[in-house]
Amino acid sequence: MFIAIDAGKCMGHGRCYAVAEDLLSDDDEGFVAERGRCWELPADLVGQAQDAADACPEGAIAVTETAPADA
Amino acid sequence: MTQTHRGCPVAHTDFTGSAPILEHYRMLDEDREKARFLFNDTTDRGFLMLQRYDDVQEGFQQHETWTTAVRSALRPGLGEPLLPQDLNGQPHVKLRRILNQFFAPAAVRRMEPMAKQRCIELIEEIEDAGSCDFVKEFAIRYPTDMFLALLGLPVSDGEQFLEWSDDYFGALLAGDPGRAEAAKTSIMKYFDEAVNERRAHPRDPKEDMVTRLVQARIDDEALTQDEILTICLTLMLAGLDTTRSALGYIYAHLAQNPADRQALIDDPALIPKAVEEFLRLYPLVFQAGREVQEPQDFNGLEVEKGDVVWLGIAQANRDPRKFENPDEFDIARHNANQHLAFGGGPHRCLGMHLARLELKVVLEEWHRRIPEYRIKAGTELTERGVQLSMSSLPLEWDVEA
Repeated sequence: MFIAIDAGKCMGHGRCYAVAEDLLSDDDEGFVAERGRCWELPADLVGQAQDAADACPEGAIAVTETAPADA
Repeated sequence: MTQTHRGCPVAHTDFTGSAPILEHYRMLDEDREKARFLFNDTTDRGFLMLQRYDDVQEGFQQHETWTTAVRSALRPGLGEPLLPQDLNGQPHVKLRRILNQFFAPAAVRRMEPMAKQRCIELIEEIEDAGSCDFVKEFAIRYPTDMFLALLGLPVSDGEQFLEWSDDYFGALLAGDPGRAEAAKTSIMKYFDEAVNERRAHPRDPKEDMVTRLVQARIDDEALTQDEILTICLTLMLAGLDTTRSALGYIYAHLAQNPADRQALIDDPALIPKAVEEFLRLYPLVFQAGREVQEPQDFNGLEVEKGDVVWLGIAQANRDPRKFENPDEFDIARHNANQHLAFGGGPHRCLGMHLARLELKVVLEEWHRRIPEYRIKAGTELTERGVQLSMSSLPLEWDVEA
């Protein structure tokens, strides 16, 4: 599974890293530090990734079976 | 409702008056279920209402064409300049970047010890009395003191400052420009002195927001004194009344629902989840406005340039399509944190993490000291329209002799 965080959509609500502490972190401005990135998830963090995607009020986080084509 | 406007049924619900507590949510829920989109004709310009969760969320994301030239659908002509709200696009992003670092979770965590200490002091002032008007004697004082601390100003100015800010905010919502202007003059003079003091004696710009504002450059230009003062005023308008209101609704709920209160006393680790659920259930800013800049088809709604759009925050937070049993306080609700109480898009509430901290600290410290309390018998709770707030919440508790 892959996670992709759309830097254009991320508005810094900070809800993703609040529910996915082992996967995501915050930067000095309160944005998720990993925004703009796409990477393959270790199996044990897929649940947290899904929680983070669900928590985002901007729909900025995608969790997908395969790597997104444009990543 | 036989009339239509832009293809929507026309509604006449007035959301600006005072009413018994929770009445506005009932009116909002009722309108949401009348039709997906409504046109409300109770203001001069009227407004197109987006009411379902998915529409409101998507509405916040139309920020390139729906701007804050109108900030409130109910008060589209409110001319008071606000920063950064009034900016859109890149100028908005650039100013937010300067402010973000003082409101990010990391910065807010640094404020926690001070937030706790001030909260305890205020509770200790009223604890032995066995009663208080929670709204007037606590819920507004705490965020006022926190706001002054954020600006690096002495909390001992709190009482005087509170008088001005209350007067100002009340006059603005009542649409009384004369009274608002008088109060604003005192506030701006106070800010002006504080900013000048910081120009003369800069502090660490990483930790002190006013110093940062004084030293900041956007495209090689410093912010003007007026801009800095407007930012201070905006933070005041955004942070004081809202936190007071949130605390009022939360304590009205807890006073009347002892099982929910006991759950927080038994396990204070539940408090952050409870705060999210309270924000979902009782959003004070129940709508945001936007002004359409280009004609567009929004999910079947044809909007035209100049239309005022209502983004129904409270209607989204209480939409049964998104939240099961939306009227119920459910501390275990799995998706409570998807509420839109703080808005969305680039204008999402700057102070959301500070607000969460303040609410959490109050719930922790208050219940440690005053676990049992009740609303004074015979009280009729009322709420203000436009932006919800209770003017009074008399609480009583037993004090050991």
